[in-house]
Amino acid sequence: MSSISLQARNVTKSFTSGPIHNTVLHNLTLDMHAGELTLISGPSGCGKSTLLAILSGLQRPDAGQVFALGQDLGELNSHALERFRLQHTGFVFQGFNLFPALNALEQVELPLSYLGLAPGEARRRAMASLEEVGLGPRMGLRPSELSGGEKQRVAIARALAKEPGLLFADEPTSALDAANGQIIIDILHRIARTHGTTVLCVSHDPRLVGHADRVLAMEDGRILSDRVPSPTSTPTSGLEEPSA
Amino acid sequence: MVALARKTLIYEWRRFLPAILAVGFAGLLQLLQAALVLGIFGSASVYITGSSADLWAGYPGTQSVNLGRSIDSGVEMRLRMDPAVTAVEPFHWVDADWRGPNDTGGVSVFVSGINARPDGMMFAHALSPALRARLNEPDAVIVDRADLDSLGVGVGDSAVINGHRVRVVGVSNGLRALGGVNVVASLATASELDTDPTNANRMTYFVAKLRDPADADEIAARLRGNRAFGNYDVWTAESFARRSQLYWMFDTGAGAGVLFLAGIVFLVGAVITSQTLVAAVIGSVREYATLNALGVGVGALRKVVMEQAFWVGALGLLGSTVLGALALVLARSRNVPVALGPWTTLACLALCMGLAIVSGLAAMRSLRRADPATLLR
Repeated sequence: MSSISLQARNVTKSFTSGPIHNTVLHNLTLDMHAGELTLISGPSGCGKSTLLAILSGLQRPDAGQVFALGQDLGELNSHALERFRLQHTGFVFQGFNLFPALNALEQVELPLSYLGLAPGEARRRAMASLEEVGLGPRMGLRPSELSGGEKQRVAIARALAKEPGLLFADEPTSALDAANGQIIIDILHRIARTHGTTVLCVSHDPRLVGHADRVLAMEDGRILSDRVPSPTSTPTSGLEEPSA
Repeated sequence: MVALARKTLIYEWRRFLPAILAVGFAGLLQLLQAALVLGIFGSASVYITGSSADLWAGYPGTQSVNLGRSIDSGVEMRLRMDPAVTAVEPFHWVDADWRGPNDTGGVSVFVSGINARPDGMMFAHALSPALRARLNEPDAVIVDRADLDSLGVGVGDSAVINGHRVRVVGVSNGLRALGGVNVVASLATASELDTDPTNANRMTYFVAKLRDPADADEIAARLRGNRAFGNYDVWTAESFARRSQLYWMFDTGAGAGVLFLAGIVFLVGAVITSQTLVAAVIGSVREYATLNALGVGVGALRKVVMEQAFWVGALGLLGSTVLGALALVLARSRNVPVALGPWTTLACLALCMGLAIVSGLAAMRSLRRADPATLLR
């Protein structure tokens, strides 16, 4: 088993909206491993997106600690946290969130230029990343000229080009049809395998279960089950093995 | 570096167009307003700016050139006695009543009695030597082309000023007056038109040319306040011209009106521009939030917004400069008094760039909504 790259220790989070106090995460402890695609599934409102936000450093827990790549995120101020995200984390969201004015290559290059890479190096990485998600021939096109699946692949390439140690995906397939959803989850899985990236995917899409190395079922802010899906439960995938 | 701000501006130009138009029209309004005000009130000092004199001697405390009172003729001697002065000539101002050959009723006119010799200083820049020479005919006057209709005359026609018959021998350009009509005559003709007996042996102004105009301030200071020649004061042409313009601008309330209007234009422009930029930021807020999630700092995102504001300002100003230049050419061809110096132009353009920048700062605030946590659901 590969090393632990992402840890949550007794994480608690609650929201107050007017007089209503709502605890979203109850004292949650969790380890995740590099090179694995971990899927957190559960009904909407179960706290899975909040867990992703806290594990990725977008939100801070009320109590508990998060260690990402050995770094205690609670020790970082907001500027340092931004810096940490810039260097180590990639994100893929349900909406593709691509700038309408930029072509696929520029979308991927944009965050790289803030990493301080030389323009030539940024371009090379962006092209390699688009090739990896199968969009090499379409890298000159703008979002309006791409299909939904292709847009999500651009978003993945944008996250991947930074060569992050951690990749977070929030409902990456829920806006896509079955075939495109299949392609996306395969790409995420391949990234975990080939780059040794810790991929954390949050989804209520049951089709993804068979593609994950590990599935955490969440409900009401608690983890109900933690299992490795059996290969036979995989509905359609054929190419890769579900667990290492 | 991917030029996000510029590419978005070009690709989504429809979204930014209202802001560009707002800056452009604000700039155009400021430019035209300034040009008109300076042009109209510049004509208050056309007697000074259209002449080649370096010093003006007149009644103490005179607030504007059209408000002169007569001073003793001996002042001419005082001016000539100074070694720095190379030439002195009188300028005779007469407030008069004009009756034209056609039915125009009474028109109040300002008669400028000037030295009509070719080397005369008065209106040296405004009248050609040939035109000046015609003033030497008895009872000859020159009026401005723009005033021909209100005076009801053409060249060669006769009219009556203060009961004295005069003949129009030519027309000038750019000698429009404020609050009346300019009529140029020779000193001899003007003194015949002056019906005030107290003005005998007195003159409204004496103007002087200096060996070195750069010393004008110093020489004016040493010439003024000599009581032996009666009450008089000496000013440099530049300061007297400015005083006359400021008198008109603020005495008429036009100056305050101009500043008020400039403020309104700025405010309206800033509201439209900032609202447009805010809408543009909000339209891309999810993309900005994604960039922030990927670790691109808020400062870098603010820079994108400010860069957009700058380009909106630059494009708007380009438009207002082109349109403003066309409008000024049109105004000049229609005898509308307009004047615009490089500094005033720069000030107007800087004000509008300021408008764009202020709007950018206002739009930057809406980047707060670019919180990546809101992208997760």
